[in-house]
Amino acid sequence: MTRRLAPWIVLAAVVVATLAVVVWPDGGDASPSARTRALAEEFRCPECEGLSVADSSAPTARAMRADIRERVAAGDSDAEIRQVMVDRFGESVLLKPEGEGIGLVVWGLPVVALVLGAGGLGFALWRWRHQPTVHATDADEALVERART
Amino acid sequence: MRAALGVLSIAVGTSAAVLGIATLGLGLRRHDDQLLRNGRRYVFVVLGAAVVAVLVMEWALLTHDYSIEYVAENNARSTPLLFTITGLWAALEGSILLWALVLGGYLVFMARRFRDRATDPLVAWATVTGLAVALFFFVLMLGPANPFKTLAEAPADGAGPNPLLQNHPLMAFHPPMLYLGYVGFTVPFAFAIAALVTGRFGEGWLADTRRATLVAWGFLTAGILLGAWWSYEVLGWGGYWAWDPVENASLLPWLTGTAFIHSVIVQERRGMLRVWNLSLVIATFCLTILGTFLTRSGVVDSVHSFTQSAIGPMLLGFLGLVAAVGIGLIAWRGDRLRAPGRLDSPVSRESAFLANNLLFAALAFVVLLGTVYPLLAEALQGRRLSVGEPYFDRMTTPVGLGLLFLMAAAPALPWRATSGDVLRRRLLVPAWAGAIVMAAAVVLGARELAQVLTFGLGAFALAGIARQFWLGGRAHGPIRAVRSNPRLYGGLVVHVGVVLIAVALASSSSYSTKREVRLREGESATVRGYTVTYLDSSVDRSDQKTTVATRVRVERGGDDLGVYAPAISTFPNSTQGIGTPSVRTGLREDVYLTLVSSPNERGRITLGVAVNPLVLWLWIGGGVMALGTLIALVPSLRRRQQGLPSADATRELRESGERPEGQAPGIPAPERVRPRVKA
Amino acid sequence: MRHTARWAALAVGVVVAGLAVVLALRVSDAERQTRPRSELLGDPAPEFTVTTMDGEEVTGDSLRGRTVIVNFWNSWCTPCKQEEPALKRFYERHRDEADFVLLGIVRDDSPKAARKAVQERGIEWPMGIDPGDKAALDFGTRGQPETYAITPDGLIAGVQYGPASIADLDTMLAAARGQS
Repeated sequence: MTRRLAPWIVLAAVVVATLAVVVWPDGGDASPSARTRALAEEFRCPECEGLSVADSSAPTARAMRADIRERVAAGDSDAEIRQVMVDRFGESVLLKPEGEGIGLVVWGLPVVALVLGAGGLGFALWRWRHQPTVHATDADEALVERART
Repeated sequence: MRAALGVLSIAVGTSAAVLGIATLGLGLRRHDDQLLRNGRRYVFVVLGAAVVAVLVMEWALLTHDYSIEYVAENNARSTPLLFTITGLWAALEGSILLWALVLGGYLVFMARRFRDRATDPLVAWATVTGLAVALFFFVLMLGPANPFKTLAEAPADGAGPNPLLQNHPLMAFHPPMLYLGYVGFTVPFAFAIAALVTGRFGEGWLADTRRATLVAWGFLTAGILLGAWWSYEVLGWGGYWAWDPVENASLLPWLTGTAFIHSVIVQERRGMLRVWNLSLVIATFCLTILGTFLTRSGVVDSVHSFTQSAIGPMLLGFLGLVAAVGIGLIAWRGDRLRAPGRLDSPVSRESAFLANNLLFAALAFVVLLGTVYPLLAEALQGRRLSVGEPYFDRMTTPVGLGLLFLMAAAPALPWRATSGDVLRRRLLVPAWAGAIVMAAAVVLGARELAQVLTFGLGAFALAGIARQFWLGGRAHGPIRAVRSNPRLYGGLVVHVGVVLIAVALASSSSYSTKREVRLREGESATVRGYTVTYLDSSVDRSDQKTTVATRVRVERGGDDLGVYAPAISTFPNSTQGIGTPSVRTGLREDVYLTLVSSPNERGRITLGVAVNPLVLWLWIGGGVMALGTLIALVPSLRRRQQGLPSADATRELRESGERPEGQAPGIPAPERVRPRVKA
Repeated sequence: MRHTARWAALAVGVVVAGLAVVLALRVSDAERQTRPRSELLGDPAPEFTVTTMDGEEVTGDSLRGRTVIVNFWNSWCTPCKQEEPALKRFYERHRDEADFVLLGIVRDDSPKAARKAVQERGIEWPMGIDPGDKAALDFGTRGQPETYAITPDGLIAGVQYGPASIADLDTMLAAARGQS
């Protein structure tokens, strides 16, 4: 048994090792420019149709990027910077809805739905495996005949 | 005169639809075959009316007839020929006209395909449903969306189409493709309603509409990808998908439609999922109407909000009606539909398809929720929120990866059940391919989890597909193999396209570089190894627009890659400047140039330079998907032989894990009808 | 579970009906969507520093104690040209009042083009250059023209998006003075 599974075990090891390298926190991606960019991607450019501040070249977006850069350099936290933008432009400037209150719905509902769906599927599968076999009744035979003609 | 002709043809179309419905309805009620045969003829009149109306509109556009309001708003004397013609679908009323035309075409296709079964109630009910949908659109055109509304005083010159709509020849392809897709789903929808109404909810309606569904799906896929291409090449913001509400609106029916294409296979083979499939196809149709509603009603802010109008409530009403009818029918008939089928094992191809549907449904749910969430929040709490890329990316990526995994594993799964041995044997090589690619990616420096997984799963999938082709082609050669089971191999080719697109998505979203450089004439800058040199600029003034175009030379490692011309155009009737990007497309990466600001008083321009990896493979992948769809549409060799498969073919298929298709179309396999009897 | 399909259909029907109601409400209220709201109404006006065309540095602080109308403008935007006559009449009407200040701030324009337009079009009120569009950002502007009314205490009493008529301007001034 182990012989047959051997290549799979090695495979699993390779995959796990690879993923470990990827996921391992390398401590250094909180550089200011990376933070600026990440924050800029979270804000909607108020002048444009749905583009993020990071992608847009509109003057407001530019000014916002410069502002974010300044604030990051000054040591403001992400939450503080978000608050400043919301104070200026309103909640609709955030592309990622907040996680509390009604925000819980948009983040949580899909997960709940997926879990419920998967659960339902699993349950149905379980039920099918344990379903007793049925015998054909006369009514069933008649149905078959009708379908065959 | 033209306007009158146009309105007349719309009126004729409306009457034909009404008469058709009435005749067929009467024929169904009285079981009168002659009435049924006559009733179906009205479909041809509907198409004829739509054709005439479209021709009249094009005539009006080409002759710049500004007495018609639509022409005055969407055409100017200076508009180039191509965009005059595409002016037909530049705004709402014309789009409805286009929809009516495409719908007429599909209805005629339906009528001709099933002409031998004109007296079959299933076909008759489907035709009634199709005509009812057509009736709605014609009534829209008689009322709030009248394309032939006249102006009391014809202006000397028209306003011209929105500048964004006359920037690129793609305008000729993207909307019609999308409509061919959207409207195409009316056919399976009509048959689904017919199946529910007549109670003939076996597999007949599926077999009947299989081709139409695939065609509609193919066009929708192409339409969406063309939209992405347009976004990238024309709009100039450097991306191809912004999770814009209207983009999402086109994605929703695609998601449910793709789920449907897969789950019908389960229904064909095992007779299960009937209610689910009917619901899926009704949902897909509803989503196409929802999509039109979101695009046209001005309810959401979007790049596509060119016009807002009063048809919003009517579209919403129609959507509500369709949803109510569909849900009502399923509630009424649903429990009688349940087949005594069941799955034998959670590790089987059927289960994989079920999982596939679950994930696609989850995706559709996420996209729908994210799109309507701002509306919900405003209605319930008065708050104005946005839901954008960060949300959609975060929520859809894991599901997308799950689907990629299923795509890789499912073709190796046999139907019904399998043993661990078989599975291990089949999946070992592809799985190793995936693992090696993943490790290689990490060794080469990739560090984003989603991207690394995409590369690995993509390789896994490609290896599995290669294995299928090799197995299938071993006995009689690849062409014969494909022709014996075009659905399978066409599907596999489509999957190859999907992998290409997935890899391209992963690469370009993580590894793009974007910089803005300020250059004077003759100056250069270097971005990611590419040297861009600003050569000069020119201003071109014409009646239609003023364009400031620059010439920029791109070089890499000493090789001259050519001169590109990013530009900004301003149109006389609007102050917004429309940027035209210039892209140097490469197999490995694109150099994407945009003119952010034209030469200022010191002659300096601001040039946006982005290097985007693998974007070309998005479009190549799309082409491969189209090819796969075409292959899948080829009639199967075996079908034509009308008999049982040859021993060779059966053996081949058994080895590749497929069940032989031994039945002529329409007759269910014996195992599905025979209830399980204890041996 | 008996009648699974029926229950599922009912559930879906309820959700779809809810969605339809929400969409219907939104459609019928089309007016509301297009009107932007300012987040700053009632809040203290942001600090800003601009340099006028005469070289004078103006800050929000220096204007405290007077009612200030701030108008974001530039030389090329069409609605700005549309509201110019109204602004000119408004300025004429009130320029001699001790507590009145009309301050223009250039948004998204080159200083040279702005200067030229001010001279050519005879704009007489102080026009400030806002380097980096910083003041524009702090005020949360999304375009131009936008007009803000600030009370002597430094609170924002009124906002106008888009071109203002003289009636709009008078209303804003009254709001800034505390008379409504």
